[in-house]
Amino acid sequence: MKKMSGENRDFDGVWVLGDYRNYFQNRVTLQLISKGKALAQKLNTKVSVIVLGEQVHQYAMEYVAHGADVIIVAEHPELREYQVETYTALLARWVEDFKPEVFLAGATSFGRELFPRLAKRLQTGLSADCVALDVDSETGLLVQTTPAFGGELLADVVTPNRQPQMATVHPGVFHERPHDPEAVGRIIYPELDVLPEERVRLLRSRRQQTRSINLEDAQVVVVGGRGLGSKEQFGLLFELAELLEGEVGATRPAILPEWAEEDRLLGQTGKSVKPKLLISIGTSGALQYTTGIQGAETIIAINRDPNAPIFKMADLGLVGDATILLPMLLEALRKRL
Amino acid sequence: MNIVVCMKQVPDAPSIRIDRQRMTVIREGVDSIINPLDYVALEAALDLSKREGGNVTVITMGPPQSEEALREALAVGADRSVLLTDPAFAGSDTLATSHVLARAISRLDPFPDLVLCGTQTIDSDTGHVGPQIAEELDLPQVGGVNEIHLEDNSLVVKRLSDGFLDTIKVDLPALLTVTHGLCPVRDIPLGALEIAFSREDVVTWGADDLKLNKEEVGFEGSVSRVWKLRPPPPKRKGELVTGSPQTLLDSLIRKLEALSVLDEEDVRRE
Repeated sequence: MKKMSGENRDFDGVWVLGDYRNYFQNRVTLQLISKGKALAQKLNTKVSVIVLGEQVHQYAMEYVAHGADVIIVAEHPELREYQVETYTALLARWVEDFKPEVFLAGATSFGRELFPRLAKRLQTGLSADCVALDVDSETGLLVQTTPAFGGELLADVVTPNRQPQMATVHPGVFHERPHDPEAVGRIIYPELDVLPEERVRLLRSRRQQTRSINLEDAQVVVVGGRGLGSKEQFGLLFELAELLEGEVGATRPAILPEWAEEDRLLGQTGKSVKPKLLISIGTSGALQYTTGIQGAETIIAINRDPNAPIFKMADLGLVGDATILLPMLLEALRKRL
Repeated sequence: MNIVVCMKQVPDAPSIRIDRQRMTVIREGVDSIINPLDYVALEAALDLSKREGGNVTVITMGPPQSEEALREALAVGADRSVLLTDPAFAGSDTLATSHVLARAISRLDPFPDLVLCGTQTIDSDTGHVGPQIAEELDLPQVGGVNEIHLEDNSLVVKRLSDGFLDTIKVDLPALLTVTHGLCPVRDIPLGALEIAFSREDVVTWGADDLKLNKEEVGFEGSVSRVWKLRPPPPKRKGELVTGSPQTLLDSLIRKLEALSVLDEEDVRRE
């Protein structure tokens, strides 16, 4: 039996914002569908994904295949680009119509720009960049865990008296469900009335250029492995490499899900490197990989598992969650530049 | 062009200490600085007003000592400053904080053409307050801006968003949150701080001045509740470095410095 927090009994359902712009790099929407489904089970309800855009049917189908029960779709040429004001207006109206109790978005640039405005319009609470979510069994409230004081502490935050309970979630902390082509979901096309006039107009948008790969000559190499958990997290290595004027390498388990190109593979079947500094992040240290990095002068390893073999060959071993440490490191380095 | 810059005084990150018994932050002996991205916003505002004319007003909400941040902004060249302080504001979440700031901005005469905020603070790092002020004041918003050009009564701005370089036109009045790379941050001129601290023109507004009820602000006006603060899951083993992310980060930075991958110069403003 579902537990309710008093006055909020009208609200029902877990919503996830369908953030599809970087579908192939950023799987956070799929991760949230998976987590949202687990939360929905505890709340005895369904998980819905809200997709706004032009020709987004393909994403709706993908979201169903990854576990969404319901997809709410708004298709319109005017929704071709992400727009904070338009999205806020439409989402606020649908929240009022459908009354979800939980509304989640990935902590992408867009999610972090949209959700505060939406939460303000709805006069509800919002947690930023959560690293864990759960339902409190006594109250049925969404427990939103977010790093506090620069990650020194974790804060468990709740929104006791407002609905929906909203959170943006750090990409890569939850795992997506496997693609199930047999999955069945319901697709709803709510009525789209007049869209608000946008005061923010996108003149141009282009994807950032990527550089050519030169691992063998790099003085600094940062390597990522399975422990990074997602393509999104792995993507942070490129920023780190840029800040350190280095290059990005990968282990086989990171190449397989296509987090990185085959060209970046290090080890027995890949490249061997000899940088002054190699930072190995979320790699366990399998022999197939470590043979490719023996020429490195200094190795720093970051891994959650204190028994990971990589620590046996590291000059400095940091036992911790790379998905928390990496953004902090980037922030610290950016401040120095 | 009249510009308002929203600033926050934050604990200087390296000096944060946690009382692990009581799970609270030790405030004694902790240095405070202007949030670095708010400083970028201030520099951008001063640069725009130099080129286009108009005033720069800095505004902050916080305990009385936040006035230091405003004095510092005056020393760098801000024209006016407003301190929003009241015991009733204590414990505000971002919804309540943005309410106080938006109310204060709406009472400025003339209403600003542009409101600038840092995209995030280094302490709570929510990035909520800027967009939430924009919503309450019904202003268009653009986040993460690192380039600003004025064209007639619009701004053309650039920003990096999820791997895309966006060029965006936005009508004025508007709110922008800004990030690194927008403009260089200068040192405070010698003597300017002293002069700024001798000026008497920091305006102070409390809840009554802003016609805010106690129920709208502070802990009472907040809808988010912190249930519990707890340390990240502990991990200990051998001679490896374990501990909080900050501990790990510190030893990592030290190692990078020792390897001369980073120089030890710290550009943070003292």
